[in-house]
Amino acid sequence: MDASIIIQIALGGILLGGLYAMVAFGLSLIYGVARILNFAHGTLLAVGGVAASAIFTATAWNPLLIMALLVPVLGLFGYVFYDKLLQPLTKRSHFEYTVGSVLVTVGALLILSDVAAWIAGPAPRNIPLRFEAMEFGDVIVSTTQAWILGGIIVFTIVLHFYIKKSWFGRAMRAVTQDHTGATICGVQADRVHALTFAFGSGIVAIAAVLYTMLFPVDPYMGFSLTVKAFTIIILGGIGNLVGALIAGIFLGLAEGFTSFFWATQWAPAISIVLLLVILVIFPQGFGWRKSK
Amino acid sequence: MLTIENLAVDHGKLRAIWDLSLNVDTGARVGLLGANGAGKSTTLGAILGIYPPSEGDIRYDGHSIVGNSPPLNVESGIALVPEGRRLFGEMTVRENLEMGAYTKSARAGVADNIDHAFALFPILKQKHNDMAGTLSGGQQQMLAICRALMSSPDLLLLDEPFLGVAPILVDEVMEALRRISDEGVTMLLVEQNIHRALDFVEHAYVIENGRSVLDGAKDTLLNDPGFSNKFLGLE
Amino acid sequence: MSNYRYWLGGAFVLAALALIPTSGSAYTTTLLFTMLISYTLAQSWDWVGGEAGYINLAHFAFYGIGAYAFCLSLLNGIPIALCFVIAVVVTSIVALVVSFPLFRLRGDYFAFATLAILPLTELLAFNFDFTGGADGVVLPPKYVLFEAYYLAIGLVGLTAIATVWLIRTRFGYALKAIRNDEEAAEICGIRIFPAKSGVLIMSAGFASLAGALQGWQLSYIDPTTVFGLDVALIPIAMALLGGSGLLWGAVVGVIILSLFNQLLIVSLPILQTAIFGLLLLLIGRYMPGGLLRSGIIRNNRWIGFLGREHDRFVKATAGVTMTDGLPLPKQSDMKGQPVLECRNLTMAFGGNVAVDNISLTINAGEIVGLVGTNGSGKTTLFNCISKVFEQKSGDIIFLGQNLAGARRDDASKLGIGRTFQIPQPFSDLTVAENIAMPLMYRGAVSASLPDALGLATQFAEYVGLTDHLSARADSLNLQQKKALELARALACRPRLLLVDEVASGLTPMEVRNFVNHIRELRDNYGITIIWVEHIFSALAQVVDRVIVMEQGSIIADGPLDDVVRDERVLRTYLGSAAPEAV
Repeated sequence: MDASIIIQIALGGILLGGLYAMVAFGLSLIYGVARILNFAHGTLLAVGGVAASAIFTATAWNPLLIMALLVPVLGLFGYVFYDKLLQPLTKRSHFEYTVGSVLVTVGALLILSDVAAWIAGPAPRNIPLRFEAMEFGDVIVSTTQAWILGGIIVFTIVLHFYIKKSWFGRAMRAVTQDHTGATICGVQADRVHALTFAFGSGIVAIAAVLYTMLFPVDPYMGFSLTVKAFTIIILGGIGNLVGALIAGIFLGLAEGFTSFFWATQWAPAISIVLLLVILVIFPQGFGWRKSK
Repeated sequence: MLTIENLAVDHGKLRAIWDLSLNVDTGARVGLLGANGAGKSTTLGAILGIYPPSEGDIRYDGHSIVGNSPPLNVESGIALVPEGRRLFGEMTVRENLEMGAYTKSARAGVADNIDHAFALFPILKQKHNDMAGTLSGGQQQMLAICRALMSSPDLLLLDEPFLGVAPILVDEVMEALRRISDEGVTMLLVEQNIHRALDFVEHAYVIENGRSVLDGAKDTLLNDPGFSNKFLGLE
Repeated sequence: MSNYRYWLGGAFVLAALALIPTSGSAYTTTLLFTMLISYTLAQSWDWVGGEAGYINLAHFAFYGIGAYAFCLSLLNGIPIALCFVIAVVVTSIVALVVSFPLFRLRGDYFAFATLAILPLTELLAFNFDFTGGADGVVLPPKYVLFEAYYLAIGLVGLTAIATVWLIRTRFGYALKAIRNDEEAAEICGIRIFPAKSGVLIMSAGFASLAGALQGWQLSYIDPTTVFGLDVALIPIAMALLGGSGLLWGAVVGVIILSLFNQLLIVSLPILQTAIFGLLLLLIGRYMPGGLLRSGIIRNNRWIGFLGREHDRFVKATAGVTMTDGLPLPKQSDMKGQPVLECRNLTMAFGGNVAVDNISLTINAGEIVGLVGTNGSGKTTLFNCISKVFEQKSGDIIFLGQNLAGARRDDASKLGIGRTFQIPQPFSDLTVAENIAMPLMYRGAVSASLPDALGLATQFAEYVGLTDHLSARADSLNLQQKKALELARALACRPRLLLVDEVASGLTPMEVRNFVNHIRELRDNYGITIIWVEHIFSALAQVVDRVIVMEQGSIIADGPLDDVVRDERVLRTYLGSAAPEAV
């Protein structure tokens, strides 16, 4: 077996996994803070990717510019989505809150993907950038791949420190660990919930543009991404970004090598089987202690 | 400084506080005594704004604070050391303290207040990088007290600050609370251990089934036959 | 409405449906067929979701597995009746197998895991050779709409009967208990895993028949149509739209959503899915409890009955009695012999030792007070004895039997009854149903549901809840909830009763009443009692001796008068100074 091929597959897996992890970051923060399973989360990437591709096709803008446009749009969407549709449910009983949030997020999933397909067409699309090769011995890497890899690394580090050090980051973690405790400290929990939705959706916007530069997106692919993101946060620990990144890369690599050594069609099964196995071994989630 | 008049609080359909009145003077140490389920914690929660009152008035510094959210009350100088401590178990001691200074006006004083906390309880300085969840019960209680002090409060509400504290540490915590009080912080203390409470406070209110039934200084209460019955029940 | 009218009404509806194919068009028949299948799916989902409280997002996988099992069997020349049997058997086995890992999980984690199963089955169907891959399975062309339609009517009839059966049986009540509080359910003597696994298998079996019929009628299936997400969530949405856990919920949800969907298909060429999603979103936002629970429906004279909760359907048997007073068996007299022995019992959570090497003996007919400050380990000790926790080391011997490794329901069946310090009633059930629960689950002497409800009235009377028999438990105040805890614990027919802080918050009069109850339970029914209480005056009226705990250890054990003069007790329990009042 040629080592350069292995390296190339590994790189592809790391890139894919890093993007999965970015989707999982947002989902993880949202689940931690608001205890809502946001089924529409991956669909935001699909729709954001379709939008990015459509904008690129129409204007040929720099993808960074598209990103700068999409982040506030999706962030605002996340804020309003929580504030108008989910926050009112918190006043209801636990059962109604759970059922209501499932219906609202599933409804949003269907609306987002269908409207995106209606406007931009259901076919897979991407951001076709010119392929500029960089050669390291036998390994050929496109400049896009290299930039995105760097981007993911930088982004994760920045995000990690932001959540660790900023007031808002601390507030998110505090609300996750003890809702009442945070309120006592003067945190406006409702606002932190909505802002976390905005924050998580904004991260997805960044991931969407990066994803679309490497892989094709279509409006209906979102749900399988959501399942993968769930797998990653269970594997990496809820609210644990470094854990999520490692879990994401592990998943991306596993999928990449499964496709290569075994069969492409079994790659999607990896995340699902992994999720089930982890949940069975650690019924309370992995690397995450239950805090009352 | 704090005046509560005919307070009533409902938890859903259930009334937890029926008719409670009390008064806390600036700089004073006041106790709130009563059996489990009498409504002591609910009263503190109502003052901070966690449980909105159904009836009655709560006045702080002369203004009614009924309907104010907890962040607003923390901003105006009220802080709570809650029942069960409510620390952030997977944040470090230092981060827990920083969270205590979350409100806008408190952020400037973070460094000073952390130094103050470490002076109060040197063990916290030693453990400043440990996760709060790994501390012993007594250390957690110290941290909870310091976290509340991080917002430089004028009124400190303490909900059973000695619960789960090993006997050898009780005196240390008590001593620290005295020092805080000497610095001019007004205190309202909920405590189950009557004698410990009465040793510490200047005045105490006894509540029963959500109603204030008795109040007075230590000697007045101890000489009241109704009081000992309530707590010791040895007729 | 009497039973007989129900059956007549149901038979009439089914008969009317049966006439449709002869008079209506093939279009109407197909539409109705789809609705019948949807009802079966939605209702069978709700047995797990609405009754047992587990949100199973993988329900459609059972439908798909049934469809595949049926179609593949039929393709291999197996007689059609047998094909249906195969579909049910295969799916049930799958459900049984997955229930072992799945029911280790609770709440959101259960939803997470079931969410992953659906795409997995889709993937398997895509990738295996025997399932035909992406091409799916094509049956030989044959027009079977009418046959399938009549079978679907039969299936719907069965589904409705099963639903009514669930409402009226012990099994259904076990599910309701599980939905509310699994710990309390076990304390009442219910074995929860077989109940959960059983309802999942039952639900999967019905879903598989729906899948088999649909596959037969279409004569073609592929992975996307039977495992696809957008179709998979629709039956769930139907059940939730109508009102999960309500008898009519699935019926109403199916009718509304099917017709709405049909309207969309006919009138709107685009964005059908989006509009459908919008409908789901609005339901979730504005009536997450379901349409039938909204005030508009409930307060309506004519259709209000649709929104009735389950509790109105079963009537209590009047005048069931076992003895005078409480329906409790008089216990065999074994006064003075040990009922409970704890030997070197230790319980720790992480590094925090809550019960530290405790040894104690409680004799038959004793009333023992257990006191100590908050956090001294009293409740943990109770939790070990009632098997809510398995102790870390040491032995618990109850009536000569070592409880090591015993389940909570075992402890309950052996005769350990308890109340919880913070009451844990089955919130959305009535007082009568709460008390009836353990009466139905007590081995050889278990009662039928109507009898249990009848007996429950006597327990309710005993604790003073007669006026609240048909009130929901979550509408009671704290004192009433505590009374309910006591009644439910007594209904477990305990030989040893663990009472955790019942008297706090009661008036002196009520305390005296309660003390009389405690005494009477021992004197008349031979029940041994351990009572955790903070209020000394209450204990003083009735206990034979007091055990004092501090920091997980026993620091005093003896008659109350001696204990309150013990230096250590005074120090730890009342503070540094000796109380002047003594």
